[in-house]
Parts: sequence; C-alpha cells; structure tokens
Amino acid sequence: MIREYLTFLYRCFRLSFVGTAGYYVWMFALSVVALLGLNAYCKQFVHGMGVTGMTDHVSWGLYIANFAFFVGMAAAAATLVIPVYIYRNRELSHLVIFAQLLAVATIIMSLLFVVVDLGRPDRFHHMMLRFNFPISMLTWDVISLNGYLLLNLHICGYLIYAAYRRREPTKLFYIPFVMIAILWAFSTQLVEAFLYCGLGGRPFWNSAVIAPRLVASAFAAGPSILIIALHVISATTDYHVPEKAFLTLRNIVRLAMAASFFLLMSELFTEFYTDSAHVASARYLFMGLDGRHGLVAWIWTALSLNAIGLVILFTPASKSRGFLIAAAAMMIVGVWIEKGMGLVIPAFIPSPLGEIVEYTPTPNEWLVTAGIMAFGFLVFTILVRVTIPVLSGKLAFDRPYDPTRADATPATNSGAAGA
Amino acid sequence: MRRAARTSLVLWLIGPAFLGVAAYLALASPPASIPIDQMKIIPRDAIKGGAWRVAKVDAAGLVAGSDRPCSECHKLFTTPPGENKALVQHKDIVMNHGMNTRCLNCHDGDDRDALVLHDGTRVAFTDTPRLCSQCHGTVYRDWQLGTHGKTLGSWDAKDEKHRRLTCNECHEPHSPAYRPMPPLPGPGTLRMGDQSRPAEAHGKRSPLRQWSTPHTPAAPEQPAEKSTESGGGGAS
Amino acid sequence: MSIRIHEGNSAGVDVTRRSFLRTGAAVAGGMAALAAALSPLKELNPEEEFSLEKFIQKHYKEMTPDDMKVALERIAGDVERRYNVRPDVRDFRPRAGVEFVYALNLSRCIGCRKCVHACVAENNQSRAPEIQYIRVIEMPRGTMDLEKGNHHYDRPSVPDADHFYMPVQCHQCANPPCVKVCPVEATWQDDDGITVIDYDWCIGCRYCEAACPYWARRFNFVKPEIPDADINKDMGYLSNRPRPKGVVEKCHFCLHRTREGRQPACLEACPTGARKFGNVLDPKSEVSQILKTKRVFVLKEEVGTLPRFFYYFDERYPRSLDPEAKEIALSLGYAPSAGGWTPPPGEAPRGTNHGEVTR
Repeated sequence: MIREYLTFLYRCFRLSFVGTAGYYVWMFALSVVALLGLNAYCKQFVHGMGVTGMTDHVSWGLYIANFAFFVGMAAAAATLVIPVYIYRNRELSHLVIFAQLLAVATIIMSLLFVVVDLGRPDRFHHMMLRFNFPISMLTWDVISLNGYLLLNLHICGYLIYAAYRRREPTKLFYIPFVMIAILWAFSTQLVEAFLYCGLGGRPFWNSAVIAPRLVASAFAAGPSILIIALHVISATTDYHVPEKAFLTLRNIVRLAMAASFFLLMSELFTEFYTDSAHVASARYLFMGLDGRHGLVAWIWTALSLNAIGLVILFTPASKSRGFLIAAAAMMIVGVWIEKGMGLVIPAFIPSPLGEIVEYTPTPNEWLVTAGIMAFGFLVFTILVRVTIPVLSGKLAFDRPYDPTRADATPATNSGAAGA
Repeated sequence: MRRAARTSLVLWLIGPAFLGVAAYLALASPPASIPIDQMKIIPRDAIKGGAWRVAKVDAAGLVAGSDRPCSECHKLFTTPPGENKALVQHKDIVMNHGMNTRCLNCHDGDDRDALVLHDGTRVAFTDTPRLCSQCHGTVYRDWQLGTHGKTLGSWDAKDEKHRRLTCNECHEPHSPAYRPMPPLPGPGTLRMGDQSRPAEAHGKRSPLRQWSTPHTPAAPEQPAEKSTESGGGGAS
Repeated sequence: MSIRIHEGNSAGVDVTRRSFLRTGAAVAGGMAALAAALSPLKELNPEEEFSLEKFIQKHYKEMTPDDMKVALERIAGDVERRYNVRPDVRDFRPRAGVEFVYALNLSRCIGCRKCVHACVAENNQSRAPEIQYIRVIEMPRGTMDLEKGNHHYDRPSVPDADHFYMPVQCHQCANPPCVKVCPVEATWQDDDGITVIDYDWCIGCRYCEAACPYWARRFNFVKPEIPDADINKDMGYLSNRPRPKGVVEKCHFCLHRTREGRQPACLEACPTGARKFGNVLDPKSEVSQILKTKRVFVLKEEVGTLPRFFYYFDERYPRSLDPEAKEIALSLGYAPSAGGWTPPPGEAPRGTNHGEVTR
C-alpha cells in the first residue's frame, strides 16, 4: 500500500520533468523568476526589512497586499465547487479538481507572502509555543489557511489517487470534506477581512463592508484565473474543457464583480458624502491628499479595468473566447491592484498621527513578490501536469505513462498550463 | 520530428541558461540598498534632566559662585523704595515681570539676605513659593497639589528623593515667562520622503478662517536657549 | 518506472548518453543558480544572529529566575561584544499597588523636543535610522485633528503663538489593541499598566503597529545603530536593552527607572514641567490630583483604548506670547522699555500688582 503510494509519488515527480519545448521554457522561466525572488529574499533576510519600501508609517505593503489577493484566489475555488456539489452540475464535475489545485497553489503563495513579511522568520516556532488563539485574528488566519490547504490537499490527493488506482472515489472520503471546504473558503475570506476591519485605529478598514467586498472581488478574480487556466489547459492539452464551464465561470465573474462594484459604491458614498475626518484615506486613494497622489493612478486603473471587463462580460461578445480571456485578465489585474494598492496601503496613509508618508515598493520587494508568484505558478503547473494524464487514464497504477506512446494528439503538451 | 528537435534544443539550452542566471546572481545582482540618513548628534547638555535653572542665591544664602551673601555689598548700597535702577552690579537683571517692577516689592530693603511679603514678613530665598503665592494664587494652589511645576527624584511622594522644584528653579524671578527656544531637530525616519506641508488652510466656510495662520515660521523674539542672565543660570 | 525523459524517436545508446548529459547540465546549472541565489546568506553572522541559546530561550512569562539569569548574562555579553560596554541588565518587575499614569499639560508644552531626544538617549534607540518613541505635533488653532498637525516643524524658536504642541507616545492603554492582535503573545500589559514587549519573542509581523491608533510602535527595519559612547548602561530586559533587528519596540514609561521609583527620562528633560507622572492608585499623587482637578482628556477616546496618558490645558496659551498682556500694560500707563516695562510717573503703592501681566 505505502509502496504503491510512493510509486505514485515518484511517477508524478518524474512526470513533472517531462514535456514539450514550450513546457520547458515556461518552467525554466518560472524557475528563474523564483530564483531571483529567492535571491532577493536572502538579501532581505540578511539586511532586514529595510530593503523593502515599508516604513513605520506604512508597515504593511506589497507582501500583505498579495497575501490578501491570493487568499481570495484560494477561496474562489468554491465558485466551481458550489455549482458542482450543491447544484449537481455534473458537466463541470471533473473541472472542480483544477479549482482545488489552484487553491492549493494560491494558499502556498499566501503562506509564503506571510513568511517573507515577518521580521523574524527564524522565530516562527514561537507560534507553536504561545499561540494567542482565539484573541489574535492572525492566529485565526494561520488556522484557516493551513486548514484550507490540508482540506484541498486531501480532496485533490484523494481524487487523483483514486483515478490512478482506477477506482471510483468513495463519497464518504471526500464529499464531507468538500462541504467543509466550501464553508472554509468563505471563512478564510471572513478571517482575512476581520484581520483588517477589527482595527479601530484604522478608520479606512474599520468598516463592516470589508468582508463582503473581499468575498465579492475574490469571486470575480478567482474564476477569472480559472477561465485563463482552463483555456490554457484546453489549448495545450487534449483535455476536454466543455464550453459550459467557461459560461458558468463568466456568469460567476460578472455577478461577483457587479456585487463588488455595488459594495464599493456603498463604501464610497458613506465616506465622501459624510465628509468626516475618516475620509482622509479614501481621499488619498482616489484624489490624493495634501499634494500626494501616489495611489490615484493605480486605483483608477483598477476601477477602469474592472468596469471595462464587467461591460464586456455583460455583452454577448464575451461568449467569444478572446473577449472572455481579455475580460478575465482585466478582472485579475484590476482586483489585484484594488486589493493591494486599494485596500491594504491606503489604510496607512495618513498615519494615525496624521503624517503622510507614501509607499513605493522597492525593486527588491517586487522581486520577492514575483518570485513567490512564479513559485506558485510552478507548483500549479506541476500539479496540473501530473493531474491531467491521471484523470484521462493515461497514467495509472497499471499503466506507467510514456508520452512517446501516447496517442497522436499533442498530449505531451499538457504542460504549459499555468495561468 | 521538428517538435522533438525543438524540445531537445531547449533542454540543451537550459543548463547553460541556468549557469548564466547563476553568474548573474553571483556577480551582478545589485546589493541591497537602504537609504539610511546620517546620525544626528544631539548635544548632551541640551537633553540633560534636572532643574531648568540654578537660583542666583543658593540654599546657604550665598550668591551663587561666591562665598558672600547679598548683604555684603548692600551694606554699602541701599535701594530707595520707588527706585528701580540697576547701578553697578545688577545690570544683567532684565526686569520683565509685568507691572511688578520694583526691587523692594520682593526683596527686603532692611535685610538684603531675605525676601519680604507684602505684610512685611521676611521669607528666605529658598522659600520663593510663599512669596510668589501672594500674586499667583492659583498657580501656587496647583503647585501645592503638584499639578504645576516639576518634580524630580521620584514620582513617589513617600520616596525621600521626591523633590518638587520651587518657583525660581524654573522661572527667572525678574523675568519669569519662559523665553522661546530653538527646538531640537525633528524626526527623520527611514524612507520618510518629503515632509514639507502645504500651508494650513481652514476652508472657505470654516468659522475659524479669520484666525487661520499662514504657515510661515515666526521670527524669534529672543532666541535664547536658556535664561542665563542671572548669576549661575544656564545650568540645567 | 518506464517514464522516459526523452522523446525516444531513436532509442539508441547515443541518445541516452546525450539525454543524460543534457539532464546533467540542466541539473548542475539549476544547482549553481540555486547556490548563487542563496549567496547573500554568507553575509550573515550566525553566531550573532542565531545562537542555540537564543533559539531555545523561553517566553518571558515562562522563564524561571535561573532562566532569566542566563538570559540577562547572554544579553550583557551580546551588548559588550557589540558596543564594548559592560551593561547592567536587570529584570524589573512591577510594584504592587502601583498603576502608572502620565499627564501632559498642553498649556505648558513649548514643543522643544527635548523629551524626544532624552528618550532616545535613555532608551538606546537606533540613531540611524532614527527610531523615536515620542512625536511632538505642532497643532494649529481650533483643531484636535492630528491630520492638521505638523510633525516636522522647524522654526528658529518655539513656541509659536499660533500653535500648540502635542507630544504623543505610547498611551499604555488599559484596553490595548496591540496586545490583542499579537499572534505570539510577545506583548502584554503588566500589572502596573505598562504594556511591554519581549524583544526575544516578537516575530516581527507588525500587526501591532497596524493596530495602534497612536502610532506608538516602531519596527527595527534594520539592525539598530547606536554609537558605543552613547549606550545607556542601565538596562532592563523589557525596556531599553538594545533591540535586535526585525522586532517591534515602543515607549515603556522608562520602566527600568519608574519601577525603581524614579521619573521617566522625558519628564526629567522637560524644561517647563509640562510632563507629570505617577501612581494613580495613590490619591495624593500628582497625577491623581491632576485627574481630579484638571479638565483632562484622552486622545482618540472614540477608539475605546482607555489610555493611561492624559492631556489637559490649564491656561490660554504661552504667556510669553500673550499679546493682550501688552495692551493691559499700555492702558495702565506702562511704557515698554528694553526688555521690560517702565512704570507710569509717580510712585505706585506697594501691593497693587495683582495682574499677572507679562509682555
């Protein structure tokens, strides 16, 4: 049994190094970016967080912004799981696994973003020794992320291994976990939002609408990444992705983005119509404050991208793949900016004592960020790379997969699947 | 197969390409740069704790820095009541105590080693609160409660080191108001950026607009760091 | 395991060898790149940064007296190695029956920033980059909105007649948000009300920094730099011992002084007596009297943090700058003279000087 499983892992490991020229180029490029990021992180580790653009004024920056974004991406796996397991949409059932693999990769990214944000990563074990649970929301976050990672690893691992064994998966072994994972996905977003909105000293965050906003924007950007990932999978492998999948995702994205805009408008009205002192951060974000405009271009870019994407999605044009991909890309970039530059950073400007210190990420910080993203995509690519042959029955316990013996279709292309 | 050849070529290139990356990282990767400002040197004297000034007459009744009491000289020089002239010795004294402009309002004309209350009671130089309380009643009340003035040694009144400073350990009696002083340098934190601010403006509708001030630094009236004109003053 | 890592169009020995070489080159290249990526780590000084002793050191509250002795000895050794000064590091515990409170008289504060720099000197704060626990904010008339204040005022002299000055430091809240959010309990409120930090336990997540409404916390973005000659040798474990890089620090009411009965350094340096410190549980203490007799307020009361740091005004504005006083003096016939006032002709009777008229 154990031997069997180790063989499975070994085969997966070997398989992840096999592919076409495109696969190798893609994997090499990701490795290089990941290495550059590792190098940048080593510099940060040696010299301190001073190599980032963060300050005592803006004490969280690009890392936590990306953390917030990728936690949302992970939660968005639920957007495919819900139609399948709650609404019994059988056509999409075999695509769920990709959403869950995406969740695995994005949680790994989120956790890495937290780790690189720590001033003393060497003391990480203090978490185990004195865990301020349930008082600190950060401890909730640690539990929610790791729990979600384990849930998804279990579900994916079980389903893939069952396919590898050519066995019908036993429902009892995964359906309960899928249901828990759905609730858990929402809770990760909730905990993530509570991390920010529980702070009375930061009026910009101290708003009950933060949690629904995070869910809405995550459920717009997450399925958008899935749209692109599924498109790449269907374009580069022989794996069949039904058109229905794209249409379902398109629906989810446009509803989520519409909800996101609605919530944003509610927030903006409250802030600007009231026109109290609390509006300072929002004013800085959207209009600039005291002659400082660092985030204005970012946020308007984000909102324009999201708005254009939303318009495209509501027109029939988006049934064509090209427009759909373009709209999805706009959603991803828009939400990425909105969560990072739009949600995390402005809360620090002005500082609680009224100083305006702007934040610009340093090149080193960008490199670390890019490195983590590259590593995450690397993980996702490998996961997809080994999953597709297993699901399509080309790799099984009784059939070691040999790309050369595969059918005439360009099955060996299955690699280049990262978003 | 062209595909195979292409894949093979890519695989051949990966090794050297990785070596190229290694070379870049080892040799050309830019070092971490952190814009750390130069240290500001703050003179220790400027932040020394303690009493703000040293009274001109010490606890023993001697003129600070000498071994003689006031009466040594004032045996010869008397001060007519009404007069307020600095003759030889006290040219350094600047009288700026409101309408209290006469020496003998506070100094005892008969016993130059003592101060005097309005009713003629003599008071030691060390007991300035009693003297000053005649006019500054509310301040005296606050001082008694400990809410005005400075306390050194200990915050705990039961501690023997607890010492409440008297009026003239902070105020120069002849010119008691604090003089403006140059501030020590402002903060300069990491990556603080430009912190110059636009002029303070109360909006058009602000009821405060007529009192809003242009953000121009006021010219110093008397840019003196500490009151030094009286005797041993200046020590802190 | 018959997964082949080549296309195998001609599965000859030659191809296998070539494929082996190819793979070997890729793996070697990858390893070289990995090693090169990790190369900045060789600048680390592992002895200084990560000793086993530090790694296994317990949380402050779990340390036995013996553990503490070992830790203090290690800290003293570290300081001596780094700054060539043998410090006296001690562990100061709160006194029973004491709850510290700070009160600051805004009518007296002139904004000279002596407290700021006295604090830096006392608490071994980093000089480059600068870490300061106290911020003095120059506030314009008619507002308590800190966003209208200026931290960076640079005048030839202070105070300025049109501003008041508001120093802000850690408020030692009775309901501290920073303590709530810390994931590892590296910061907590002691019995005397001081919120302390175990610098050897903090993981540097800066959540407390985000949570503090008073911007009281500072993070060591780099290794703090202090000239050897400026080290204050009188050190406390929870207070002013030199901090490592990557941890958070803040004002601790000079606990290494105040738990011994002394006054905080900022108070001692204040030239005007604007700063008042003491035990609020003692009804006769100066701070109790202030809370009782002055109209005190706290900053940002609406955030519910219950600060132990109170502000009050007890006068109009600095008397030295009082323009009305001049008018009164003129109306009474006094004539301005060099540095003072010349009384009107004719002798004024004794005992009529009731007004507190200054220039």
